[in-house]
Amino acid sequence: MRGGLVRIFLRRSLSREPYRIARLGAWSLAEVVPAFAGGHAVARAVDDGFAAGRPGTGLAWLALLAASWLLAAVAARQILLNIAAVVEPFRDDLLTHVVSAALRAGRDGDAAAVARMNHQVELARDAFGAIITVVRSFVFTLVSVALGMMTLAPAVVPLVLPPVLLGLVLFLVSLPALARRQRDFILADERTASAVAVMAGGLRDVAACGAEVRVAATVGREIGDQARAARALARVTATRTLSLAVGGWLPILLLLAGTPWLIGQGLTAGVVLGALTYVMQSLTPALSGLVQGLGVSGVRLAVTLERILGSAATPEVTEPRTRPEGTGLKLSGVVFAYGPEAEPVIDGLDLVVPEGDHLAVVGPSGIGKSTLAGLVAGVLRPAEGSVLIGGVPASKAHEAARALIPQEAYVFHGSLADNLTYLAPEAPAGAVDEAVAAFGLADLAQRFDGYHAEIDPAELSAGERQLIALARTYLSPARLVVLDEATCHLDPAAEARAEAAFAARGGTLIVVAHRISSALRARRVLVMDGTRVLLGTHEELVGASPLYADLVGLWADHRLPHSLA
Amino acid sequence: MSSRAADQLISAAARHSGRWLWLLAVTALAGSVAELFLPMALGRTLDALAGTAPGGHGWLPATVLLVIFVVVCDALGVLSSGASGAHAALWLRRRVVGHILAVGAAMTRRFTTGDLVTRAGVNVEEAARAPEAVVTAASLVIPSAGSVVALALIDPWLAATLVTGLLAIVGVVRAFMRKTTAAAAGYQQAQGEIAARLVGALAGASTITAAGTQDQEVGRVLTPLPRLRAHGLALWRLHARAGVQAAVVIPLLETAVLAVGGLRLASGDLTVGELLAGARYAVLGAGLGSAIGYAGRLARARSAAHRLERLLTERPLSYGSRPPAGGRGRLEFRRVTVRANGTPLLSDIDLVVPGGCCVAVVGRSGSGKSSLAAVAGRLVDPDWGSVMLDGVPLPEIGRDHLRRAVGYAFERPVLLGATVGDAVGFGQRWPDAGRIHAASQDACADAFIRRLPRGYATPMAEAPMSGGQAQRVGLARAFAQAERLLILDDAMSSLDTLTERQVSRALTGRLADRTRLVVAHRVTTAARADQVVWLENGRVRAHGTHESLWDDPDYRAVFQGAS
Repeated sequence: MRGGLVRIFLRRSLSREPYRIARLGAWSLAEVVPAFAGGHAVARAVDDGFAAGRPGTGLAWLALLAASWLLAAVAARQILLNIAAVVEPFRDDLLTHVVSAALRAGRDGDAAAVARMNHQVELARDAFGAIITVVRSFVFTLVSVALGMMTLAPAVVPLVLPPVLLGLVLFLVSLPALARRQRDFILADERTASAVAVMAGGLRDVAACGAEVRVAATVGREIGDQARAARALARVTATRTLSLAVGGWLPILLLLAGTPWLIGQGLTAGVVLGALTYVMQSLTPALSGLVQGLGVSGVRLAVTLERILGSAATPEVTEPRTRPEGTGLKLSGVVFAYGPEAEPVIDGLDLVVPEGDHLAVVGPSGIGKSTLAGLVAGVLRPAEGSVLIGGVPASKAHEAARALIPQEAYVFHGSLADNLTYLAPEAPAGAVDEAVAAFGLADLAQRFDGYHAEIDPAELSAGERQLIALARTYLSPARLVVLDEATCHLDPAAEARAEAAFAARGGTLIVVAHRISSALRARRVLVMDGTRVLLGTHEELVGASPLYADLVGLWADHRLPHSLA
Repeated sequence: MSSRAADQLISAAARHSGRWLWLLAVTALAGSVAELFLPMALGRTLDALAGTAPGGHGWLPATVLLVIFVVVCDALGVLSSGASGAHAALWLRRRVVGHILAVGAAMTRRFTTGDLVTRAGVNVEEAARAPEAVVTAASLVIPSAGSVVALALIDPWLAATLVTGLLAIVGVVRAFMRKTTAAAAGYQQAQGEIAARLVGALAGASTITAAGTQDQEVGRVLTPLPRLRAHGLALWRLHARAGVQAAVVIPLLETAVLAVGGLRLASGDLTVGELLAGARYAVLGAGLGSAIGYAGRLARARSAAHRLERLLTERPLSYGSRPPAGGRGRLEFRRVTVRANGTPLLSDIDLVVPGGCCVAVVGRSGSGKSSLAAVAGRLVDPDWGSVMLDGVPLPEIGRDHLRRAVGYAFERPVLLGATVGDAVGFGQRWPDAGRIHAASQDACADAFIRRLPRGYATPMAEAPMSGGQAQRVGLARAFAQAERLLILDDAMSSLDTLTERQVSRALTGRLADRTRLVVAHRVTTAARADQVVWLENGRVRAHGTHESLWDDPDYRAVFQGAS
């Protein structure tokens, strides 16, 4: 299946612009003219020209050869540019695939994906370019040299072609071992990159723990393994040189050793010189290019492509999304667990939230509030039971119908305007101004010289990032909004303002409460305490739920400590 | 000047390639000398066997031996070039990683995580190939220089023809070198930018999944792609131009030598074998053509080394060797100023926190609370002023002493370590299970850790945690580590009220012997602290007890926003 994907990828790159391949073939023919003409020209120049006392004829043959090289040079440039035109889109394809697979997998901070992306894609690109170059060059050269020799002196063919083919076979036999080492190296490389990524992401914590030595040792181990794998690879690669010796040097030695016999067959010294020219000038360079090219690049391409295409999660088949009629929510008999053997986090939950309701969800952390938010937003699917938004299963409801803001607000490198209109690209400027005012972002906008200057998320505080995420959702068309502790980094006043803005906006609002004050602002409250779930108004729950009463009591104790004193 | 620093880095890497680089140098040298004799041997063999020159029947075995020698040298060269590259990369990567760790948190201000990964990965690999590329390129000089001599010995006219041609090639290589460095730098920059964008987007994975904006994100991450392609194509074009010039020059050179040699053959001054040798020497002499490939690699290596050098010039956080003086963790800030890109984050902070005291740091977002926390335990050094623990300036305290004395808990802790238990004891050299369990209990993490499939021994990769759970493990880590000073930078923001109350009880109970600096948004935290430091725009607006400050409506506004 991975192999299939690899083939599809390669085929697509090669067939995207068929005329490029045709052009590549045409220019390749032009490029190997000297490979065909070389032996002939040299043999004639010596035999009919210089050795025959007619230097003019010799020079004329060589001038012809020079002209063919000029043609070949022009062809070489065109070939390289045509290869670039195939290889660069190939690299773009790979990058696009890696980026979209990483984003679709939806896992938080997959550092390995980034390491894969940069290094492997570059390796694959270089390898692909090299392979096209060497395979093409070898095939064209071999054919034109064979034709050249047959027309020049068929007797030399048995001295040249069999050792070349023998070398080729030896090389192909050694390929699997080479592939194994190469694969080991690539794996070691990836492990190092991911260890470095973990380290780089945790520099502050490493320093705070004084664990520099320990982390250096952990990363150092991976670095050492990688160096060992690189050395093992170098050893196998060195043995590959032997096949090159057989295919490249044996024909030359055979030609020399066979010279007395060839002369006996009536061939001249000039013809032997011509045959040697074929081997040395064209065949050996092409073979050595092929061995080095395939030996390194071929294996590299296969391994990197398998890793790039294989390790990425297969994209989920996107189901057709339905726009729900309303935003009323109905959960019936919902069961959800994070693993087949784990205890269910939510077990048999029934809940109805009518359209336009404002519900707060409270309970201690780890009790399943975020899980509930994920189920409502359609990001998680229940193992049993159903979650319906306006009658449509949540996981099939159109994304634009609902919005979930998680605790970790997402702000990307880009302008403030881009960040705010992320879910509503068509939002008019007036609406953006209104949202900026509603969430108190005006100062921030001023600090960054307006809406259109580039902002670096790392320069924003967690609270500022949350305000941006809130304003963005406020602008979105979603009529069902789930705030999953989305205001936890705001001060209480900003939190109150944010919730008020959403309540006034209309639609259904579900707030997973970070502070109990969120519950007081809601129309109804859902209390999750681990054993049961209670739904009611604030007043009802203070009496009915000891946990809720405790939470409210705690809050009230501290809210105005001095007005009571 | 900066490219000189990059070259120095490359030569240091070369020194660390070990004996492999020597083997490479020796085999490359021996191989190229043998190669130098090969055309002559071939020519003599041809003359002897074709009967175009008298005698010399011992030449065929000699040529065979010479070929075998060249092949062996070649194989050893391949082995040693791979191995020396591996050694250089090993040294360079360890140095880069060591330096990143030594600079610590300050590194992330200049470089994104993705950028650091690229530099320690691809760029190290490229820079490490430089010594090998230099040796190989240098060994190409021997045959080309030797060929001129050999040609001169065969016939001076041939040598003159070659030299003229060689000068043309050198010009090509030089022009190529300069242009590639610029194009390669642009390419690497675009590459790094895509990596940084992807790391950023992955951090927002849940938002992206919920919003179904994956396609949009792919487009955004790949925004620099056209630039990448443009730089890539520019590199190809440069390559094509240089390659084509070389492709014309080398065969034309060979043909020219053949023509001149042919004329000498016609006049009887040269044999057919010598013509063969002459043509081979011309090709060998023009072997500089393959230096084009090495020039490309060298250019990439230099630009990569330059990127590494920029990283290595970041000043590391150096530690003294003193233990902190006896005391209970008295913390003193003297005229502490911290700036970021010219804007002051903290200005002239003078503050004394008595040992064993619990201080809440409050203030609106952006008032400098996190900066204060960062300098208090020396995650970064202030730009001006000094911070002292029990009278000893922090930079004078040894690393182990300092880190054992100070523990940090963060709003978003990065939990490192193999298992959950290991993550809690991460700051300790000899983690002790009792201490880890006690700290976890204080942080309300013990119960949920025990419910994990393998309890404290659960691998981190198999223990996905919510923000609140991660905060609790982060708190446990700090509790287990800190002996004198505990710094909580908004480290309870994701805890629910009940859990927060329990953790606060531990802070004012079992952990009360330590100085505690607690950055917080909640009024409850301020109310429980012994003192409150109220920051505004990077300055201390007021310092006192919560009760004394509460009458100030501006102070209440920090929590309630009723201004």
